[in-house]
Formats: sequence, structure tokens, C-alpha cells
Amino acid sequence: MKRIVFNMTFVVSFLLIFSIIVKVYYADFAEALSQEPHFYPRDKSLPLQSCQGWTDVVRDFQVDDGQGADEVPVLMYHRVIDEEDLAENHFDEENRLHSTILLKESFNDQMELLREHNFTTLTSKELKLFLKGELEVPKNSIVLTFDDGSKDNYVETYPILKENGLTALNFIITGAITSKDSKYEANAYQYLSESEIINSCDVFEFQSHTYNYHKRTFNYVPYLIAKSKEDIKYDLEASIVNLDQRNRAFAYPYGGYNEETIDVLKELEFEMAYTVVPEIARPGIHLYEIPRIEIFPEDSLEDFKRKIRLN
Amino acid sequence: MFLKITLVLFFIYMLFQLIYIFVPLFAVKSKNRFSKLEKEKGISILIPAYNEEKVILNCLQGIVNLKYKNYEAIFINDGSSDQTLNILKEHLQLEPTFQRLPAIKIPHEAIIEVYQSKLYPKILVIDKENGGKADALNAGIEYLKKEIVITLDADSILEPHSLQAMNKAFEDEKVIAAGGMVQIGQGFHGNFLRPKPTFLTSGIIRYQIIQYLTAFYLHKFTLMKMSSITVIAGAFGAFRKNILFEIDGFRKTVGEDMDITLRIQRLVKTKYKDCKLIFNPQATCYTECPETYKALFNQRIRWQKAFMDCVITYRTSFFNRFGFRLSIFFLIEAFLLGTLSAFPIIFIPIILIFNLEHYMIALGLLTVTFFLGNYQSFSTLVVSRRFGLRYHRKDYLKIATFIPIEIITYRLLGLAFVISGTIMYFINKEKWNVATRIGTNSQSYDEGVLLLNEKTVFMNEKVG
Repeated sequence: MKRIVFNMTFVVSFLLIFSIIVKVYYADFAEALSQEPHFYPRDKSLPLQSCQGWTDVVRDFQVDDGQGADEVPVLMYHRVIDEEDLAENHFDEENRLHSTILLKESFNDQMELLREHNFTTLTSKELKLFLKGELEVPKNSIVLTFDDGSKDNYVETYPILKENGLTALNFIITGAITSKDSKYEANAYQYLSESEIINSCDVFEFQSHTYNYHKRTFNYVPYLIAKSKEDIKYDLEASIVNLDQRNRAFAYPYGGYNEETIDVLKELEFEMAYTVVPEIARPGIHLYEIPRIEIFPEDSLEDFKRKIRLN
Repeated sequence: MFLKITLVLFFIYMLFQLIYIFVPLFAVKSKNRFSKLEKEKGISILIPAYNEEKVILNCLQGIVNLKYKNYEAIFINDGSSDQTLNILKEHLQLEPTFQRLPAIKIPHEAIIEVYQSKLYPKILVIDKENGGKADALNAGIEYLKKEIVITLDADSILEPHSLQAMNKAFEDEKVIAAGGMVQIGQGFHGNFLRPKPTFLTSGIIRYQIIQYLTAFYLHKFTLMKMSSITVIAGAFGAFRKNILFEIDGFRKTVGEDMDITLRIQRLVKTKYKDCKLIFNPQATCYTECPETYKALFNQRIRWQKAFMDCVITYRTSFFNRFGFRLSIFFLIEAFLLGTLSAFPIIFIPIILIFNLEHYMIALGLLTVTFFLGNYQSFSTLVVSRRFGLRYHRKDYLKIATFIPIEIITYRLLGLAFVISGTIMYFINKEKWNVATRIGTNSQSYDEGVLLLNEKTVFMNEKVG
């Protein structure tokens, strides 16, 4: 009897102290385990230089003087999802599709329209030269951009662009790149993998959307405004390394930036940056404040035509 | 990835520790006395001796004071270059005997002479050419006559009732080998017939006292429950004679005790499926432990080399011929956690300096290790008490303050031993590191037979 009571006391005291230890260290262990596979290593470079060479070449469009475009619409997309794959988490509280999601069918119609009207998609370098007035581009010129680099960019968007002979800029959060390939699930938040980026770099021009600063503080101030210059620089440097030193263009997460942000971009030798101001781009505008017109899920093909100035 | 491997290994380590803490705690009953048997089975005690002049008399004292009749003790002088044989001759009044003939089953180095004591006819001495401990034991096996064989180190002293306890254990026909309880001699004082445990000693001995109690009362006891005993300590082991002949005696190796245990286990798992090896906590012997760091280091290097030798020698026998549980305990606990993990563990402080990110993880693992270490020692003391080892209250207080310090100091020595031993095994397998004996004796025989004083011997014989 005495032995049983002693043994029970022993076990209870053991469990008690052990649970206290677990409680003290639980958060540290949980953090260490969940964070570790989450971020793409800061010092790892994707082999992009070799397959992105086409974005460095400026084409000769053979446009007669005065016949070129005097403005170029820069369109902004995020995700493209097949209607069949739609799930509950693609809709907001009022049961409307999130503004960042476009149905695959609408996107397909839009791209076919561009092809039918012989639109030329410009690279960032060509756009920069046009905005500086150093390059004449055809009347039906356009720039397509995708933000955030979610997996559907590869699964859904890439084949459609390729089929229609179009190219696009893709601003990726490099810290979210995954090393392993996973099965595509439209309702999960999945990021582009290393191999998907390499396999789609004939159509996408990959540029930085920060390493891990696509975030806001608790009162919704974007990190690029809230954080110190040093912190921002440290973050962006990692994204440049990840992108194999390709630092031509940058897109501000949430469109948030200030004078200091632009200074950092210049110090890191970015040549231009894109905002979310819905205007058309004309020569002479500030290269670090290039406006972009967002395409929404509820836009009809007529709305789209208006946005790209197609009469 | 590194973090995940660490955590998985740590989790396995925790599981084994929990088994060792709780299995004996719940399995060992409070009253732990064996009942003495009337019928005494014949027991032969083999004591190989190589240059043991400092300790051989202590061992002999233990033999002549045994509370047992049906035994014989055979000292095997393995070509000592010191006074070992002369001391035995002098104190035992040895005379050559022709009544003993070898079984001629196991080869060994040449025998020079076989002696019998005039004073104690139960004691024989074999003088032979040097051939190492295993060879000496094999020679002893050749000449012994009794059915149960005890192997005893020359620096170990049998407790007077130890043969009764072994006699009781072998009453079970299924038991073919049994390991005795080895206590640290320096941890006792007073009379050998009624020894009192003490903790009033140096740190290095205290460390070994706690370690032996844990290794035998917790680990060996648990391993017995799991039928996974991998070593019957050479200091005090018992075997059935026919088994020793069946496996051709001891193999010449640095760790002949682990080697023979594994071979017997292999026999049990493949041929004698009903039989078993046990740990007999009631059969006690007192052994002299190293008192200096250098001697301790040499001893542990020898143990680790012996262990590595068995890992390499029996690598193909695990699982299919040793069974699942023994293989798990040997390969996962002893080899993976005990030996392989020691190598990365010593790099942890260096990793921490360069990668401060995970210092909380390191601290967490350290806390759990410390906590488990304390509870394991706590369990050791509780189980020891149930086996009849009762310290004075003042000693418990000393132990309670010693253990937390010991865990973060002395116990780390183990890492150094394991790493050095493993490396040295691969560098020089052959070098043996023969132990140096000190010959201190913290106990006395004032109520028992005193060899050095013939008058007392005479008186005692008259009384008995």
C-alpha cells in the first residue's frame, strides 16, 4: 500500500514538473519547427540568368516616326483560377470573388482578344526605354504583370500566355518559393516552386516583390513604409540573390512606398518600380512610380477593352 | 533538417529513459528477500589473476567467508610476473595435486602446475602460461567439477550470502546464466559480514556508486524484463557448465564478458527458446573501482573498445539471430544513442556560438535531460532501498545535493570516454590497457576469518 502511494506520488510529481517544462518551451519548439521549412534560403540563387536572356534584348519594332504608341497600359493580375476549382475560401463575406482572383475563362477570353488585335507585350526594359522616350513601340503595345507568384500562375496562366504568344512580368516574394513540388490544390495557398519558375521563364520575366516583406503591421501599414531603411534593404538584398542578381524592376506590396523606399531601390540599382495607381503609363512619368491598371473578376470583356484603350 | 533529426533522436532517448525510470519502480516489490534453499547445488568459482598481488588476498577473504558448503574456488594464475602466486602459496599452504584432470575440450595455454590448499581443500590454484583473461577462464573451465560456474574478478569480493542467492536463482531450470549485483567496494564501510553503505567518499567514487546502482538496479533489471541482457559483468557472472562447453568457452577479445553473453543470447534465441539469462540483484559482490581519472579513463576506454568489438563482430547477427528486442536495445539505445550521438553532442556548443537562433531549443533539451537525469537517480535510490540498500539519512542528504551537480559535471565525462574509446578501437584494437589495482580496503573482517592471522583462523575453525 505504502509502495503504491509512493509510486503514484512519484508519477504525479514527474508529470507535473514535465508539463511545466513543456509549457515553458512549447512556443520555442513550435516556432522552430514551423518556420524552418517555410522560407527559401536567403543565400540561394535560382539559375535565372541563362533562361531570362530574352528580357535583356530590346526588339526593333520598325515603327515609323509618329506612328508609335503614345501611351501603354500596364495591367495587374494576381491569381487565375478555373471555375470548377472554386472553393469557399475564394469568396469574401459578401459572397463575392476576392478581387485578386480572376476566372480562368475570363482570362482566356482577354488573352485571345489581345492576340486577335495583334497586341505586343513589352518587357520591362522596353517599357523603361519607351517611358524615357528612347524607344518607339507599336500602337497596340501592352505590359502584363502578375503579383505574388502563386502556383496557379504556372498551372493556369502560363499555358494560356504561351498559347497566345504573350509574355508577362511576374513579381515574386522570393522567400515563399518552395524547393519541393507539391500537387496543385486551388483552395490552398501554394507558391511557385523552383522548378516551376525555371520551366516558365520563357514567358514570365521574374522580378522582385520583396523577400519576406509582403506584410503589414497590426494597423495595416505596409512594411516598406513601417520598417527602417536598413531592414528593407536587408530584405530586398535577399530577393536579389534569390533572383540570380536580376534587379531590373520591383513592385510595391500593397502599393505602399515613400521617398525612402525609392532611395533604397536606387541604392540596390533597381531601374524601375510599379505601384497600384490605376492610370495609363505615358513617357515622362517617374520610373519608380509606374501606374498599373488592375483587372477585376467582375470586369466584362467590354470593361477590359476600355481598360486597354481598345475601341 | 538537422533540428528534426536532433528532435527525433532526443525523443527516442526520452522513451528509453522513461522505460528505465518506471519499469523497475513498478516491478520491484518492497520486500525483496530470497528464501534460502536447503539443497546446495555445486558451484565452482573461477578467479583469473594476472599481477593481482595487491588485491588477491581481499578476494580470498571473501571466498573463505562464504556461507556455503558445496563450492570450490579455482584461482588461475595467468603467468603473473609479480608475487601473486607466492602470496597464494604462502597463505593457502598449496601442494601440487594429481587428482584433477582437464576435460580437454577447450584449448588454452600450457598448464604449469595444479595446486590444492591444505588449509582450505575447496580452494585450488592453477598456474599456467600467460594467455589473457579469456584463456585463463578457459583453463579454469577445463578443471572445474561443479555444475554451476561463477566467474569472478580478482579485485572483487563476494558477499557471504551471494552463493546462496545464486543457488536460489539457478533453481529455475530455464536460467542458464545470471549476472550478479556489483557494488562499489569503496561505497561501504564497517564489517564485511554486515557492510554499511556510505556516501562519505570522493566525487569520482560517488559518481561511480550512483552509476553502478543505476546500471544494475534500473538498467539491467529492465533489460532482464525485456529479455535483452547484453552483458553479464565479468566481475561477477554465473553460468551452467554445459553451456560454457557448448559455446567452446570464452573468446580471446578485449571484452570477453559481453562477447560470451551475446553468444549465449544467440543460443537462447535460436536453439534454447525456453531458456533465459537473468540479473540476480540479491547476489552481491564488492569490486574496487578506479580512484583516479587516469585509471577510470583506462577502464572506460577498455569497456568502449569491448563494446565496439561486439558491434563489429556480431553486426550480421542482429535481428535475425538475436531477436528484435535485444537488437533494438543494443543497436538503438547502446550504439545509436550511446555511441554515435556522442559525436554530434560535443559540437553543440560550437553550433550554438554560430547559430544563436536555436539556443532556446538547446536550453529546452538540456532542461529535459537534466530533469530526466534527476528522476532516474531518484528512481535508482528508491529501487535500491527496495532491494535492501539503505543509506543513513545524512547520506541521502549528501546524495541529493551531489546528483544535480554530478549530472552536469561527472556524467559529461562519459562522452569523452565513449568518443576516445571508439576512436582508439579503430586505431589500435589489440592494446588491452590492463587495469592497475590500488588495493585499498575500506572494510574489515574483524568478526570473520582472518587469513593473515593463523591463530584467528584456528580459533574460528574450532568454533565452527
